[in-house]
Amino acid sequence: MFNPRDIIETLANNVKQTASPFGIPKFMVNKWYKDINLPKEGEYLLLTGLMYQFTPFIEKSTQYLEKYEGTKMAGLLKYAKYVPSYISGIGLAMMTSRKEKKNAGQALKNIASLLKKSKVDFAYRPDLDNYSGILLYDMGDQKGFVAHAKKVAKKLQDAGIKKIITVDPHTAYALKELFPKYTGISFEVKSYFELLDLESKDCGIEVTLHDPCFFGRYLELSDVPRKVLTNLGISVSKIRNQGEFTSCCGGPAESISPSLSNEIMEKRAKELKEPGKPIIAYCPICLGNLKKSGANVEDLSTLLVRHI
Amino acid sequence: MSSVNLDFAEELKEYSEDTALECFNCGTCAAICPLVHDNFPRRMIRYVQIGARDKILENSDELWRCLHCGLCTHTCPREADPGEIILGLKRFVVANFRRS
Ligand code: SF4
Ligand code: SF4
Repeated sequence: MFNPRDIIETLANNVKQTASPFGIPKFMVNKWYKDINLPKEGEYLLLTGLMYQFTPFIEKSTQYLEKYEGTKMAGLLKYAKYVPSYISGIGLAMMTSRKEKKNAGQALKNIASLLKKSKVDFAYRPDLDNYSGILLYDMGDQKGFVAHAKKVAKKLQDAGIKKIITVDPHTAYALKELFPKYTGISFEVKSYFELLDLESKDCGIEVTLHDPCFFGRYLELSDVPRKVLTNLGISVSKIRNQGEFTSCCGGPAESISPSLSNEIMEKRAKELKEPGKPIIAYCPICLGNLKKSGANVEDLSTLLVRHI
Repeated sequence: MSSVNLDFAEELKEYSEDTALECFNCGTCAAICPLVHDNFPRRMIRYVQIGARDKILENSDELWRCLHCGLCTHTCPREADPGEIILGLKRFVVANFRRS
């Protein structure tokens, strides 16, 4: 286990300097929209919160943390805060392969096509698409979180944004529950799958759905993707812990203790593999973490796009 | 022996709702917590109840094992909100080390 203080100060410092927990400037992570045509105006604003875009970098940095956990090198992390974030972040960005970065963007492209197919009137504005600060909140850096969230919320408010579509559970929770409470600014927040209206089909396949903690428990939305799947004739296998009682994938412990995170992930992966069906995740952190277990897992958006 | 700080509950109010006294130590949270670790989070809540501020600071690293998964809060029969108490304790410890 790493010293939480070192991790928190590194993350807090990164967010302060670069608005990203990994110190990677936004122009280097957010590229998915560049080769597709997305409207600049619409009823809703699609706000990715950059979580999908961060996944390959999280994977890379965890690989390094894994190597050093429990060794003398772990203690050196406290010096990380003296390295300007953009230097360490650019290093991390360069170590991450192009293919992994491209894959992470694919889920977002899928989501945009699904929304278009469902005739949702939405806009994408890269200038307004910012990280929510949720990791700082989870780590207990309340001051850092509130300061960051206020900036993000104010920018959205100044642009006249009222309705937002999010794509991952962490950003959804931050915008829906935490922003009104801690920034005083509220938006109408929907997760993308709540707005889908796809043509019915009879695919006749079965999948195992892994509900993320924030969709299953905190936001109580796990019945919505099930309805979307049922409409396409895709059934969902019954497993022991699902919906409001879903089990954590272990992802949130990644930066503090990769070994603890792996332990929890292995347990969950075993439950998910039991029915022997393809596993579907709908959170980029869960997706990345379950992939590590060697499970046959893909993003909900990838499955849906294949069947429309 | 650790000391008991009677003002601790008051001090914590700055960081989270004071729901710890609702807890009647049933252990459901510790049983369901995926960490399966030494009576966590119940032990921490007990420390809050008895004002064992030192004990919390001494064992503070453990708080960051918590995944914020919410299972404990969801199943607590007394609505003591154990998950949020842990998050509040993280905030307390962060504020404490930033002051030091
Ligand atoms: S489940 Fe609730 S009442 Fe029971 S020990 Fe945990 S916090 Fe206390
Ligand atoms: S929120 Fe934390 S303490 Fe509660 S069950 Fe999850 S990991 Fe355990």
